[in-house]
Amino acid sequence: MASPIWLIILPLITAFGLGIVKIFSKKLLKPFLALSATIHLILVIDVVIRAFEEPMIYSLGGWDRLFAINLVIDPLAAIMALLISVISYLVVIYSLSFIKEDKSKYRVPKYFLLLFLLIAGMLGMVLTGDLFNLYVFFEIAAITSYALVLIYKRDGSLEGTFKYLLAGTLSGVFILVAILLVYLSTGTLNMARIAVKFAEVPGQLKSIILILFLTGFGIKFALVPLHTWMPDVYPEAPAPYNAISSGVGIKASLYAFIRVIYVLFGFDFIANTELTSLLVVWGVITFMVAHLMAYQQKNLKRLFAFSSIAQVGYIIIAVSLATDKGLIAGGFHIVNHALMKGAIFLALGIFIYYFKAETIEDIKGLGRSLPLTSFTFTLAALAMIGLPPFNGFLSKWLIIEAALESGYTVAAFFIPVGSLLSLVYYLRVLQSLYSSGEPKPRVDFKRPRLSLELPAVILGFSCLLLGIFPRLPLDMLGQISHYLLDSSNYINLLLGG
Amino acid sequence: METTYLAVGILICLGIYTVISTKNLIKMVIGISIVESALILLLIFVGYRPQGTVPILDHGYDLVVDPVPQALALTAIVIGASTTALMLALVVKLYKRYDTLDVSKIRKLRG
Repeated sequence: MASPIWLIILPLITAFGLGIVKIFSKKLLKPFLALSATIHLILVIDVVIRAFEEPMIYSLGGWDRLFAINLVIDPLAAIMALLISVISYLVVIYSLSFIKEDKSKYRVPKYFLLLFLLIAGMLGMVLTGDLFNLYVFFEIAAITSYALVLIYKRDGSLEGTFKYLLAGTLSGVFILVAILLVYLSTGTLNMARIAVKFAEVPGQLKSIILILFLTGFGIKFALVPLHTWMPDVYPEAPAPYNAISSGVGIKASLYAFIRVIYVLFGFDFIANTELTSLLVVWGVITFMVAHLMAYQQKNLKRLFAFSSIAQVGYIIIAVSLATDKGLIAGGFHIVNHALMKGAIFLALGIFIYYFKAETIEDIKGLGRSLPLTSFTFTLAALAMIGLPPFNGFLSKWLIIEAALESGYTVAAFFIPVGSLLSLVYYLRVLQSLYSSGEPKPRVDFKRPRLSLELPAVILGFSCLLLGIFPRLPLDMLGQISHYLLDSSNYINLLLGG
Repeated sequence: METTYLAVGILICLGIYTVISTKNLIKMVIGISIVESALILLLIFVGYRPQGTVPILDHGYDLVVDPVPQALALTAIVIGASTTALMLALVVKLYKRYDTLDVSKIRKLRG
């Protein structure tokens, strides 16, 4: 019976406990990390199961709910927390073998310190019910991300990270200004109390706040004109970071944006303004541009970075519809994309680890040298394109259905067009993977280590499983709209009626 | 009152303009710092009450300034300082590698 705050505290303790463990014994480091990650996963599952029976509120420091910083675990937050912890558990296990020590013997502890702080930051972002707390966790996740990209000290990583830092800092500034304006006009930072008072805020100020939030979070989840940092950062970052960032890192920002527009602004604001049509058009532009850009890439990580941006476009379309169906479809696509991109980046990491294969040319012939990894990669790639019977097909189908139901026929038409485009460039990758070639292994190589292959395989096969048995995730996602579409439910939950 | 908002607005725009227009890496960092300082100014101003004293809830202190934005300002200062430190460290690395601070001479930062 763990209280929800342990979900955030445990990664923090682990991160800072690493230094102490390292003093006693270097051999203890990896068992310690694996143990902590396992306990964390169990805690999250426990909390999520209880949160699905009844949404949970936890007030920090035992203060009254009105004044305290609250953790609010409603169904959407629970699903996001579960997703984050599953992906980060697999990434931690994978990283234990993937990250190699450098000469100074500090890379491994440094990497895991940052990784666990990132996990704590992302979990904090999805669980918190306080606007400023959201900003703090947002910055924790952001700053650790900048440093994680630099962990290999590769030549190209400096420029990419500097760009990322500039964009990230500006996004933090936009969000902080928006939060300040909210505080100025409502006098509180508790999300439910803001939601109560926000209706009285003048319309112009509301629009300014909305634009600031959209730009701020948009930089982080890579809406199209704001996405430029991502393709530069991904090729230089270590593969497990790519998996966690593309899989759940950008989703945490997306979640924060969904939470802000649905709880703060509320359903009435979305229904009475042009927000939906704006975001739908923007989503279509996002995925079309990203697919077209991805088509021209030779570097695989760059290609997948653009593919991630495209998926964000689909999710934005789905969640901005403000219908029951749209939210379920968007939520399902968030889950699916995390699994698919996790599998793809972890498999790609194995290609890089053993064969230094970074471009489409490099992976020629790997289909024979690494059969299981390549198979996983293929499964995830096919799911990415959106072919049946994979989960990507289902969620894209649901998005199309939801868009048609709300009358956005053009947007619904463009979604299969986008899928066709992604078919072209993913098939190019797969063709190269299974064509003949003479890959040169970097080290004496027989078969990949189990701890590297297993996380990728789990994620890859879960794409297929969720595609064949979608009942459970869809049932779980069916509950999320209750607290989003009607913000009074959220207010009652947090303030207790 | 409006003057303060205007000043904060001008400072933020100035900072963002610096980041966009300059070609010098250090000046970019300075631009970001200006934006952050403007934000902290805004934070302090949001909590300001004319004639208010320090937020001590005791006898004789009837009119106090709002303590919440001050707590936020402290957090914002810490976050700002750490980002600036990280940025300057990166600039040092970039300078060592390319022997220049000019953005247009560094491959990927162009455009």
